Amino acid sequence: MSHKWLVIRLESPLMAFGGVAVDQEGPTRDFPAASMLTGLMANALGLHWSDRAAHQALQDRLIFAVRREREPRGEGVVRDIQNVQLTKADQGWTTFGTPEGRGGASYNAPHRRTRHYLADQAVRVVLRFQPVELPPTLETLADALDRPARPLFIGRKPCLPSCRLMDGWVYGDTAHAALCSLSGPGTFRALWPTGEGPETDTSVERVIDLADIRNWRSGLHGGSRHVVEGRVKGVAVS
Amino acid sequence: MTLPRFLQIHSLSPYTAALLNRDDTGLAKRLPYGDVLRTRVSSQCLKRHWVQTDDPHSLTRIDGAEAAYRSRELVTRKVIDPLRGRFPEEVVNALEPEFQQAVYGDKGTTKTNRQTLLFGEPEIAWLARESERLAQEANGDADAVKKAAADWKKGFRANIKAMRDGATLPAGLKSALFGRMVTSDTDANITAPVHVAHAFTVHGEEAESDYFTAVDDLSEDEPGADTIQETELTSGLFYGYVVVDLPLLIENLSGDVEMAGAVLHNLIYLIAEVSPGAKLGSTAPYGRASLMLLEAGDRQPRTLAEAYRRPSKADTAAAVDAMKDHLRRLDDAYDTGEERQVMTLVDVELPGAKRGSLSVLANWAGTLPGALG
Repeated sequence: MSHKWLVIRLESPLMAFGGVAVDQEGPTRDFPAASMLTGLMANALGLHWSDRAAHQALQDRLIFAVRREREPRGEGVVRDIQNVQLTKADQGWTTFGTPEGRGGASYNAPHRRTRHYLADQAVRVVLRFQPVELPPTLETLADALDRPARPLFIGRKPCLPSCRLMDGWVYGDTAHAALCSLSGPGTFRALWPTGEGPETDTSVERVIDLADIRNWRSGLHGGSRHVVEGRVKGVAVS
Repeated sequence: MTLPRFLQIHSLSPYTAALLNRDDTGLAKRLPYGDVLRTRVSSQCLKRHWVQTDDPHSLTRIDGAEAAYRSRELVTRKVIDPLRGRFPEEVVNALEPEFQQAVYGDKGTTKTNRQTLLFGEPEIAWLARESERLAQEANGDADAVKKAAADWKKGFRANIKAMRDGATLPAGLKSALFGRMVTSDTDANITAPVHVAHAFTVHGEEAESDYFTAVDDLSEDEPGADTIQETELTSGLFYGYVVVDLPLLIENLSGDVEMAGAVLHNLIYLIAEVSPGAKLGSTAPYGRASLMLLEAGDRQPRTLAEAYRRPSKADTAAAVDAMKDHLRRLDDAYDTGEERQVMTLVDVELPGAKRGSLSVLANWAGTLPGALG
């Protein structure tokens, strides 16, 4: 059964696709996380972060595959050092009624942390919603990407896109088939979910258990899904 | 005419022989782009200097007293008034002074005695929820609600004080523009309406390792230097990109359109005139933007960084030329219809952009929140 897939191009001098973060290092993988795409769509549609059920529904309905458009010459990762000056007296109010403070630790030196960004890369994502007819539809999302409720950013707020995200439509029975209908010379590194493309042929590099989904109700990442990493060929442009 | 929901601010700023932003090794921050290494100034570095500066257009100079007269009625309009008609008048009238005093202090019962507080949606929503809860639990008994409200005021004193401290000018402006986060409670967070991209040079990095010594002039017996070090000096024409989400900015400023206009007006000056630089004494990293391009529209905002994927010459005229070509190609392909105004030191026409001085651009930016209607 041939499905209609929305193509989204993600490109910016710096992008953050998300990754398992431990302590003060904020890494990024080289393919966008399901939770990151969900947040991007929710931002375009104008959802508030407290609309947890709506976020969860978007992520649950999301089926997507990714093709890396460009490989960097070097490592392609920028490790940005960030220093935050904290003081003992810092306080923030809460809806629980008691202000949150620093807990009395000493703050003579700034808190130092690192955030990784992908430098000068580009990917294309093919995505669709299952079930198809529930709101928001794919067409609603496409319109929202062009006229978003808020400025779109790719992973972190400084990562503003350098091109139009909405990049057309393709057709295919599976996510992998949709990826294979994208144009371009040569072969590209790609990612697709299991069940949406080959899992064992020569184009497959590995099948992994990927922890990139968020439990939007609790606000924490949890669970994982099986994805295939491999290569796809682009359709020659005549 | 498209609604100006997004204001995009592009800038080209030259700095010579400076070390604006360092990483943990003491070298200038960098960015590989188009397979060429560029010098970079991080987003957080830019924001910090715009917030901390003591410039004539700093955020601390925005006088909230008259501009935000309406913000002194926030408790009245958004917390107490929604209760009228749904709860007995005596109950609501008993609640009002308690809430005014809790938020504005003991003299807060009269409008003239209230200070300007910049509450965003999270603050208003919480206060409204609490007042509704107290009104409901009172069950029509005005004396009971007065006592309950006094207890509430006492019990939440620390929390409300934290809320008030965060909302007073100019701290409230900083949060309204750049957001605020509390790790334990996402409902109390403020989303930043200002997005600041990392700035980078339109050309390949131009860096020099400056070898220097420090000599003790008073020491007569020991020849040579007391210390020998190296530091990096870079020169660059930096492309900067900022997007402001106007509806969210207005919401964060408690709906005050005039104040949003004043903030945008000052922000244009801050971006054009405030240096993000460190090493002030040894490099005097002060300058002014050679170009400021403002775009107002409602289509998906996009940086013009792609104009510099192939590095341009380290020269304002060449950089503006590259921007002009890229903008023209984008317009031909997408025709997104933004309204544009530009201030530029070189005589290059940018497509669809009306040319003016910085004050003309800043004044225009200041009118945009009002144009949202």
